[in-house]
Amino acid sequence: MRRSTLARIVAGVLAEDDIVICSLGSAGRAWREASAPNLTYFASDPMGMAPSLALGFALSRPGDRVVLIEGDGDLAMNLGVLAAIAGAAPPNLRMVVFANGRYETGGGQSLAGRLDLGAAARACGWERVESPPADADEAAVATAIRRMYDAEGPAMVVQPVESEASPYPKAGRWSQADDKAVFQRRLAARDESGGRT
Amino acid sequence: MSNERPPGRDPAAILRTALGEAGIEVVASLPDSWLSPLLTALDADPRIRHVKVTREDDALGIAAGTALAGGLGAVVCQNAGLLVGANALAGYVHLHELPLLVVAAQRGDVDDGFYYQAYKGRVVPPVLDAIGVPYHRMRGGADPRLVTAAADQARLHRRPVVLLLDRESLLGEDAR
Repeated sequence: MRRSTLARIVAGVLAEDDIVICSLGSAGRAWREASAPNLTYFASDPMGMAPSLALGFALSRPGDRVVLIEGDGDLAMNLGVLAAIAGAAPPNLRMVVFANGRYETGGGQSLAGRLDLGAAARACGWERVESPPADADEAAVATAIRRMYDAEGPAMVVQPVESEASPYPKAGRWSQADDKAVFQRRLAARDESGGRT
Repeated sequence: MSNERPPGRDPAAILRTALGEAGIEVVASLPDSWLSPLLTALDADPRIRHVKVTREDDALGIAAGTALAGGLGAVVCQNAGLLVGANALAGYVHLHELPLLVVAAQRGDVDDGFYYQAYKGRVVPPVLDAIGVPYHRMRGGADPRLVTAAADQARLHRRPVVLLLDRESLLGEDAR
């Protein structure tokens, strides 16, 4: 499965008023290219920090459903966060891991070891983990994403995706702090208007 | 003899109350023996969501996520955790500009009798200077005004602010 296909499937399952947080790298770019309507924070560096950022955000916004779009390289950098999320057990947090086994944007280097992130999550106390096989078709993956979405969080799908060229993106015009301000203003406007983006 | 202190002289209670009055609802922590009473007090406070992590950078990330959501989160850890979390701290200071408060046990200073802690006392303040994180020392007893002032500074500056607490500020007069 291509990462763009997985992003499109996720976009098709989420409600418009779900809030998305993305790790840096190719998973986040696939989500951006899916042009989903969801309020999204593209978390950038430091690498390995997107899951804890999403956890803090979810704990502070218990009335919102929060979905983390995560790369396997980002998660591999900080596996301990799986234990922190399992311990905190936020019912409103879900995670979709785009697993290509490589640091795609960094040059395609393979990850260390032979990681089974679904097994790692279960070992850390996650009870709702979907891990469709690499050759699962779109319908099967969509079913797994839907099950994750309907389950109480924390819930996760780890989906293998193909290795694809992921050239380093051009430098953007806006700083991370600029993007943060836009995100927070949209969040505030949404709160003022009763909860929808 | 009872080990219980009057509430006004219990540093853990003073600090926990100060964190609450500073508007902090999420605290992420890793332990240190000096922090044990404060962590116990946080666990017992239903108004504070206390999250246990495996690395201090995750604690910083959780507090940053709270800030992204519009709140203010705190990290409670040993000062060595600020060395572990230096990259995360730098990212939240200079890249995301997200406020958070760190309450750290300042191990390895003049009040700490362990050789293996000493490097932390020497290294952490200049590292924080290098990262550009404001920090304030709390010495000689728990000071709730410094907690609220540091939280206000974090919000105002949109940056992490660190409190480095000595032994007596965390453990009280018994630590003398």
